[in-house]
Amino acid sequence: MSKTGCLDCSQMSRRYFVKAGSLSLLGIHVSQYLRLQSLVALTGKGTPASRAKAQACILLWLEGGPSHLDTWDPKGNSSFKPISTNVAGIQISELLPRMAKHMDKLSIVRSMHTEEIDHPEATHYAITGHRPNAAMQFPSLGSIVSKELGPRNALPPYIIQPQWDSGTKMYQNYFNAAFLGPQHNPMAIPDPSKQDFAVPDLSLPKSFGIERIQERRSLLKFVDAAYRQKQEIAEFSNLDTFTEQAFNLIQSPAVRKAFDISEEPDKLREAYGKHSFGQSVLMARRLVEQGCRFVTAAGYDYNAWDSCHSKNDSYNRDKLVPPFDQALSALLEDLTQRGLLESTIVIAMGEFGRTPHINPALGRDHWPNCWSLVVGGGGIKGGVVVGASDERGAYPAARTTTMGDVFATLYKALGVDWEKTYMTPIGRPIKIANSIDDKTGTPIAELI
Amino acid sequence: MPYRARTTAFGLSLAVMVLLGFRAVCYAAPGKASTPSTSQVQAPAPVSRQEAAAKLRAGSGSAVSPKLEGLRLLPENATLWGAKASQRFVVMGSYSDGVERDVTSIARLSLSREGAARISGNAKVVAVADGQVTLTASVGGRSASTSIRVSGSEEQRPFSFARDLGGIFTKRGCNNSDCHGSVKGKGGLKLSANALYPRDDYKWIVEGGTYQVLSADPGEKIPRINLKEPDKSVLLAKPTMELAHGGGQRFNKDSADYTTILDWVKNGAPYGKEDTQGAVRVVGLDVMPQEVVLDRSGKQQLLVTAQLSNGRREDVTEAVLYTSNNPEVVDVNEDGLVSAVKTGETSVMIRAAGHAISTGFGVIEKPVSNYPVWRARNFIDEQVFAKLKKFNIIPSEDSGDAEFLRRVCLDLAGTLPPPKRAKEFIDSRDPQKRDKLIEALLGSPEFIDFWTFRFADLFRVSFEQGSPAFTKMYWEWMRNNIASNKPYDQVARERVGGQGYNGPTRHWYGGSDLRRPQDMMAEEVRVFLGRRLDCAQCHNHPYETWSQNQFWGLTAFFGRLTHIGDLGGAGPAVIFDDPAGHGENGGGAKVLHPRTKQEVPPSFLDGKVLAETARVDLRQRLAEWMTSPQNPYFAQAAVNRIWGYFFGRGIVNPVDDFRLTNPPTHPQLLHLLAKDFREHGHDLRRLMRLIVQSKTYQLSGVPNESNRDDRINYSHALPRALEAEVLLDALSHVTEIPETFEDDSGARMPAASRAVDIVFFDTFPSQFLDIYGRPNRLMVPERKGEANIAQALHLLAGPTYTEKISKEGGRVDRLAKAGLTNREIIEDLYVAALSRLPTAEELGFLTKRVSQRASRREALEDLVWSLVTSREFAYNH
Repeated sequence: MSKTGCLDCSQMSRRYFVKAGSLSLLGIHVSQYLRLQSLVALTGKGTPASRAKAQACILLWLEGGPSHLDTWDPKGNSSFKPISTNVAGIQISELLPRMAKHMDKLSIVRSMHTEEIDHPEATHYAITGHRPNAAMQFPSLGSIVSKELGPRNALPPYIIQPQWDSGTKMYQNYFNAAFLGPQHNPMAIPDPSKQDFAVPDLSLPKSFGIERIQERRSLLKFVDAAYRQKQEIAEFSNLDTFTEQAFNLIQSPAVRKAFDISEEPDKLREAYGKHSFGQSVLMARRLVEQGCRFVTAAGYDYNAWDSCHSKNDSYNRDKLVPPFDQALSALLEDLTQRGLLESTIVIAMGEFGRTPHINPALGRDHWPNCWSLVVGGGGIKGGVVVGASDERGAYPAARTTTMGDVFATLYKALGVDWEKTYMTPIGRPIKIANSIDDKTGTPIAELI
Repeated sequence: MPYRARTTAFGLSLAVMVLLGFRAVCYAAPGKASTPSTSQVQAPAPVSRQEAAAKLRAGSGSAVSPKLEGLRLLPENATLWGAKASQRFVVMGSYSDGVERDVTSIARLSLSREGAARISGNAKVVAVADGQVTLTASVGGRSASTSIRVSGSEEQRPFSFARDLGGIFTKRGCNNSDCHGSVKGKGGLKLSANALYPRDDYKWIVEGGTYQVLSADPGEKIPRINLKEPDKSVLLAKPTMELAHGGGQRFNKDSADYTTILDWVKNGAPYGKEDTQGAVRVVGLDVMPQEVVLDRSGKQQLLVTAQLSNGRREDVTEAVLYTSNNPEVVDVNEDGLVSAVKTGETSVMIRAAGHAISTGFGVIEKPVSNYPVWRARNFIDEQVFAKLKKFNIIPSEDSGDAEFLRRVCLDLAGTLPPPKRAKEFIDSRDPQKRDKLIEALLGSPEFIDFWTFRFADLFRVSFEQGSPAFTKMYWEWMRNNIASNKPYDQVARERVGGQGYNGPTRHWYGGSDLRRPQDMMAEEVRVFLGRRLDCAQCHNHPYETWSQNQFWGLTAFFGRLTHIGDLGGAGPAVIFDDPAGHGENGGGAKVLHPRTKQEVPPSFLDGKVLAETARVDLRQRLAEWMTSPQNPYFAQAAVNRIWGYFFGRGIVNPVDDFRLTNPPTHPQLLHLLAKDFREHGHDLRRLMRLIVQSKTYQLSGVPNESNRDDRINYSHALPRALEAEVLLDALSHVTEIPETFEDDSGARMPAASRAVDIVFFDTFPSQFLDIYGRPNRLMVPERKGEANIAQALHLLAGPTYTEKISKEGGRVDRLAKAGLTNREIIEDLYVAALSRLPTAEELGFLTKRVSQRASRREALEDLVWSLVTSREFAYNH
């Protein structure tokens, strides 16, 4: 008999697509933890992932696409001067004075070359490694890490914060797990810099005791009995299981504590910056420390780094780069002090770079042809410059690097086989490190 | 189907026992064939015919075994053309228990005369000389005959690469979609899946090279045949494992397939005649029997016939590939013998070069005696009940008024019935009350709200339309369509072909730009024709007939779509088809094939190219073709989608995934619904009326012994999760605390708006709607209503469930202060939430429970909580 088993799985895939597209908020990952607790043993000692140095990854997501020329790849066509760093021979923009002291911890890739030029498509590309395709949804980097590494301790493996707002919500699907299943979608939590920050539905209303919930559940069991004796479907008992887990979760102080950023000393909170981005980066460290595998710190507003309509220079100087410089350097210092940098990858990027020329609105336009990102920690070398752009920062001059290469580097550090392909339920192979022209990415040898 | 009286004289257990014995005789695995020596042979059977016949007689004489009541021979009136042409036959016996069984293995076959044909093994008749002959089958004193015509017995069948080699590649699994038939082939050899594109296959084999997704460059070319030393051809060495072959051995050197390929290479590897030169092509396949019912240990031989382009027919039973869609239900062997595995329903796919069909199988536990009589209300019931009867599934009882009322209110109006109306309806003695209720609902403003919401979802009325003004225009158009019951074909034409500045044209906006032509096309085809072509964007669909050419041919209709005006703003932006083109794919109005970079002319799904003179207002031409009465896809896709809303699954399921490998559960019902829809002006309300008036829709959700496992035959109503918006509205209804919808700027929806009334849905954030699966409408939404832990957390601790219930001015507050007894309050709550009164047991238990609590108020709040978090509340059933 021939092997055609995948033919009737297409319904499965659609179910996954739907889940991936519609479920986002709290719980998916808590539930995953609870359901997969028993599987932790499988990712225990002896597997490549457990031997790898890197155990977690923090992505500083620079929404809108930062100007490489005014940050990591200073050129003559930037208004800002290059400054020296603590690594001999590496210069970065004067807008990053704090990071100049930490350049030994991160490496700069200056020859990023990607394929999409507008925000939605480029965001999709940066976060999945694939160009968007109406026929299917691709799993995000974080979902793949979640699947490959599995949960640690009591924490969901993949968290994004702050949660989507009306501007970024359209990108929500891109950060999801697609056919990997909703348990690998990111848990999205609110902005930790807000005074009233709390993870929703994790605690009961103040007037409620746990006995009241117990009474309610016992009533529910009675009220629903007549109907459920007649009719029972899988979805009903799924909710029973979830309800049981939710009940345990609400009663667990440990889980709530993990999300309680107020436990961080005020001095540290200030070091990261008491703004949305700074606190999201601090929260990322807190969550990684507690066991989360992949945290996206996305504290910048929708399209914040999109400097095509605003005055590029003043915007970068006054608004965008300083909080980034502050939070990233604070994170590196904090991770180093706690001994976590060895096991934690830090990567900071947006969806593309910006044009070498300044447009009539005094902004810089979208530019995927050549841009920069920084990456380090978790066994990935710091203090290295990978590739180079040409004189104007317009095109790679040496060692063109693709998103697939970056993904492969992260996977290698995390002990994941970067040449792996997933098979979608309808039998379409998906490279987890997808490079340009249908090629597989290669780990950046200079870094790992 | 008329009801036939059955004998009920025998006890069930005895019947089953005898039946099993009977089966053991008839259906034990064949395979060890006795060698036929005369024209009177018996088909292979593990037991002797005499023995079998004796047991059969013994069975039929004991009054408890099903009796053989008739025989028929398949196929009827066969024709054999060409030297050594053959036809396999199957003898079907109909039994007194209503099941028709394959009795070939115990049948005696004979020919009326020698000379024209002879009988070979496997119930096969082989042509000998031109002439007419009659084949007779007899079993247990009954017989059936059919005539066979033999012609062209001296003529050799002409060679065709497509048919002969393509057939081998398909039968042997070489071109399977996970072997060489995968998009990029395997091990350097690419074949088209199921030999759909023989010209390409020929090239890959004879010239070498492989398929690249992103370019037409085939790379290094290594031919797979060796004309100088034909037996050294890779094409022969691999499948026989003379060279290592990842796919293992597919045939050996003694096989007919090996000889066919070797002879072909020896002859210089010709392609044979092109189709255009009158080559005989396979134009279609037929399979017999259709919709087969098997006992738990039953077997059925399939017969597959190819229809040829010259009008002749050919038995290809042994030359096709069989696959069971669910091997846990039936298994099928290489020769098309299907064996039951366990009770259930599935289909068997049959593939031959370039074609695929399927036939349905139902494996039944045991035939039901005393199958009840069901009177049909309309053709829906006739179709549904006939299949249920065939598969021995008894429908559940009628739903009863309360169950029906709740179901139909939620389905037609998206709302729970008001408690007062519920009581009136349940108490009414009017025999027409259900029909009257249906009419009231179809004419209600809530119907318009609700179906506007559902279509706004499907049609993706969203922020994506750029400005709020555009979104509103598009939504209002949709609302008017529902309010005026606009014929659905007209709705489709207005959207697909829309030009200028009006509601439907706003559909074409995608944020700050027009969307890509290929995405627009794929969406229109999915929404209106129920097909998902997207895979074919980059490569021919791996197991459907959709080709990349078809995809881009359809896309070409959208190549000229363009606009004047500000897309992001509120100003008048006009949509039209620019003869000079939008240029999304480069080259002005041209749409280029992404691999060949050649211009693709606008061509319909059936491959017909739009005449050059007709190439104005391209999308209108496409819309006309889509909705023309000759196009079968449109009406079928529409009725299937609407059906899906009422039953939780489509006749083709998912509702927009029509394809060969996903056959309908009730093909004739789909056909009749589509016909009715087309013939009555594509009237959505009429279609819905037909559905909700049917007995099928009005069946109870309580399963019986025979239908408990049925999920696809509509034997009982299945629970369907309420859509997020409907659930939220139902919560507001029960608690009497309306939801406040506020957008990011602080603007609010009018007081007491329902969630289904939200126009700018994506700017009104709602945690509740998100966790219950409100889609973002960035792509065609699908809602499955699956449970997740966020819902569980929310119902334990979330404000929708905690605050609404206890709020001042809400239902609990009102009832607690109204001086009512606990009993009165509990009854009110039950009717409000579940549209039914509590049972005596429920009432007794709950009154006691409430009165025992220190705080009556808290007790009532907790009761409401348990009602609105129950599955009975959160589902339509």
